[in-house]
Parts: sequence; C-alpha cells; structure tokens
Amino acid sequence: MRYGLFRACLLLLVAAFFLSVAAAPAQSSSRYYSGSSTGTNAVNFEAQLIWGTNDKQSDPKLKPADSKLIGKLQKSPFKWDHYFEMHKEPIKLRLNEEKTITMSRNCVISVTYLKDENIKFQLFGKGKLANTVTQPLPKGRLLITGGDAENSTAWFVVLKQVE
Amino acid sequence: MTEEQQLKLQAFLDGELPESDGREVAAWIARDADATALLGELKNTRNALKGFEPEVKLPESREFHWSKIKREIERTARESAVAPKASLFTWFRRALIPLGAAVALGLVAIIAIHPVPGSHHPIPMTANVMVGDANAFTYRDDTQDMTVVWLSYPTENKFAEKSSADTLPAK
Amino acid sequence: MAESAYSSAEDIALVRLAQKGDTDAFEELVARHRDKIFARAFSMMRNEEEAVDLSQEAWVKGWQRLAQFQGDSSFATWITRIVINLCLDELRKQKRRRTESIEELDEESGGVERQMPVVTTNPTERLERGELRQRIDQALAQMSNEHRAVLVLHEFEEMEYKEIAKAMDCSIGTVMSRLFYARRKLASLLADLKQQ
Repeated sequence: MRYGLFRACLLLLVAAFFLSVAAAPAQSSSRYYSGSSTGTNAVNFEAQLIWGTNDKQSDPKLKPADSKLIGKLQKSPFKWDHYFEMHKEPIKLRLNEEKTITMSRNCVISVTYLKDENIKFQLFGKGKLANTVTQPLPKGRLLITGGDAENSTAWFVVLKQVE
Repeated sequence: MTEEQQLKLQAFLDGELPESDGREVAAWIARDADATALLGELKNTRNALKGFEPEVKLPESREFHWSKIKREIERTARESAVAPKASLFTWFRRALIPLGAAVALGLVAIIAIHPVPGSHHPIPMTANVMVGDANAFTYRDDTQDMTVVWLSYPTENKFAEKSSADTLPAK
Repeated sequence: MAESAYSSAEDIALVRLAQKGDTDAFEELVARHRDKIFARAFSMMRNEEEAVDLSQEAWVKGWQRLAQFQGDSSFATWITRIVINLCLDELRKQKRRRTESIEELDEESGGVERQMPVVTTNPTERLERGELRQRIDQALAQMSNEHRAVLVLHEFEEMEYKEIAKAMDCSIGTVMSRLFYARRKLASLLADLKQQ
C-alpha cells in the first residue's frame, strides 16, 4: 500500500512537471505589442505631480497643467476647476530597470519597466507604501494615482510613456 | 460672567429655558448690573433685526425664471421615465454579474495557461493596496486612455503641497 | 383653470392642482413666492448668482416633492425650508473648500465675543428704517457664513435652537454659541457703522 501511495505521488509530480513545461513555452512565445521595446533600448516616461483645486489661485508661480490632461480629468469623476503642475520628472528606464523619484516632500514613486510595455508603479506617501500597480502603459495611455488633499483639493501623480 | 451664564442669558431672552431656570435667571438679572446690560444689548440687537431682513428682489423676470425651472422639471421627468427601463436592465445585469464574473475568471485562467499563439492579450492590471488604512478605487476609461487609482484614507493625506517651492525634490 | 382664477386661488388650492400635475398652478406659486425664496437664499449666501441658482433648485425640488406636502405648515414655510437646506448644503461644501482664517477659527471657538464690551446704544434709535435696513445688510455681509446662517434661521425664520441644530447638523450648544457671537458681532458692527 505504501509502495502504491509512493507511485501515485511520483506520477503526480511527473504530471505536474510536464504540465508546467508544456505551458511555459506557450506563455513566452505569443506576447507581442506594437511598439514594444524588446531590446536593451531605454524607454522614456514622464511623471507629473498635479494639484487639483476649486479655488482660484493668484500665485504666479503656479503652472497650470497641460490642457489635454485637464480635459481628460474633467471628463472623469475627478473634476476640479483648476489643475496645476507642481512637479515634472523625466524617467528613462531600460528593461527591468527600476527608478525611485521624489515628487514632493511627502510623495515618492518607484517605476520599473517590465517587458511588453508593462510597468510596475509604486507610490509611497510619507514614507509608507500606499499602492502598487502593474499594468501595460503603451504610448498615449495615462496611469494616474490620486487622493484627497487638504481643503477639498486633490493630488494626482500622472505617469505616461513619452517619445 | 462665564460663557455658560452668557448663553443662559441669551436662552432666557429667546424663551428657550425651562420655567425653573428662567425664574433663576430673572432673579440674577434683577441683582446683577452686568447681566442687565448684556441682556439689554441682546434685546436691542434682536429688535433691530425684527422686520429688517434685507429686501431683495429676484433679478430675473417671472417668465425667464419659470422657463428655467420648467426646463429642469421636464429634464428630470424625462430621466425618471428612462429609469424604470434601466432598473429592469439593472436587475437583469445583477443576476448575470456573479455568473459573468465566474465565466470571466475561467477565461482568464484558460488564457493564462494556454494562450493562443500570436494573439494580443494584455496582462491584467493588478492594484494592490499595501497600507492597511487606505482604500483604493480604480477607474478605467478606455475612451480617455487612462486608468485612475484613487486612494482614500481615514485622515487627511497631503501628498501635494500648494507652494511650488515645496514640491522641489529633496536634495 | 383660467389664468385669473389661478391668481386669485389660495396657495393650498394651487398646491392640490400642482400635485395632480398642473404646472400652471405651480407657476403661480413660483410667481407668488419667488422673491421671498430668493431673499432667503441671498441672506444665507450673500451671493446673487448662487442665490438665484439655489432658488431655482429649490423650486425644482419642491415640484418633485409636492406629494410630500401635507399642509402641516404653509406652502411658503415648506418651500422656504427646502431652499434653506439647499443653502446649508452649499455652505458646507464651500466650507470644506475654504481655508479657515484665524479669525473664523476664533469665531468658532468663541474666544473674542466674551471679551467684547457691552454695546449700550440702541441701533434702532435715531436711524431711519431704510438706513437701518442697509446697515444690517452691511453687517450681515461681514459675518462668516455659519454665524449669518444661525442668525437668519433664528431671527428671520424664527426657528428654535433644536430646529436650527438639526438643520445645520450641529449641537444645540454650537447653535447657542454661534448665535451669541453673531448677535454680539452685529451689535458692535452696527455701533461702528453708526459712528462713521
């Protein structure tokens, strides 16, 4: 009986091995995205810290956010009357490279460029990891992480792939 | 005079005190000049306001004002008329959601294990909330080509400062 | 019902017709009470555009909720309460957007008015009615939204403390403090204006 049990376990192990071997090549061979960088060339990204507020601002140092971005945000549930670009940072990443960027005193992001135009984006607020997102980010797509700030304003970190 | 006494005096003036308290306050006013003076001021202010609400007229003609109201009434009535159909659809959709979710999960599992050669299929987005007290809500808009992950915390979170000087990276 | 019949009908009769879907009857109600509703909204908001929008919204809500009007109060009181609630909602939204100044925080905590000397002059003496109305208007404009709201609800709407507390979603103690501060502030503002 013990020998029979041993044979059954061995058979299961072998079956599992062959299944994983059969599945692996299929996973790696079929993923192709137009414009993807499969070589060692670096890809350019851009991260912006945006502040959304309904109050009119007279501070000349405040730079309004890009009108295209404003248009997108105002068509979303995250509508404020005014959006200002507080900080912008270019990020150049090679495949599987990770970079950490300080967007503000309280906000740090980490971006890793994965294969097939995927990115892993992590946001740290006041030193604590707040969120991790892994998703494709082809050119033209925006990944935005946001939250409430004081006085019913809002902050956004916008990540996108650029030329 | 304490704050409590001042507020009691006001409540006495406004008739908001129970009878027994009212008698006490009346007796106090009779022997305390400061209380009498303060009550006098509150009374004068109340009398000044009586019948002196600022007179303002609606700066729109009767017809114009009504036309806007009527338009809004008709618009909301149209929306309510559509709603019953939507609720039927919603009921139908609700019944299918659990079944649909199960089918979708099954499809994802199948594709992950046995992908069709040469096909384009994005890796599903995973959003993990790592901080215990934050809630994440994901909004995906393919027409706007954007994904928004909205984080909310029980207490205020200040990642963006108003002053641009504060946002310069720490050197 | 002919137009002239509408203009001579009582409010309750117009309400009954409007409850059956008669928009002409409702229009007559709007025409009768629009100035009062606007005035109430303006007293609270101190902004003409906002007051017009909120008045309009109150009428639309009034139409939608007509079935709920039972006649326990007058129609005027009922519709006024709708516009008041809309104004209070809007003030709450604005408060969340606004950075509170030190003065406003001080008002809330009630630190200042306890030390204010008592104003002994009676503002109604030696002032023309029109002038007094204008000065009250100016004084109200200088107050914070919360203090003005409590004053309007108590003095003009004649609401009790507990009704105001419920409407403003705060404690009776807060209502009393705000009302006390608002009255004392008004007294000193009227006295100041008189001295000008």
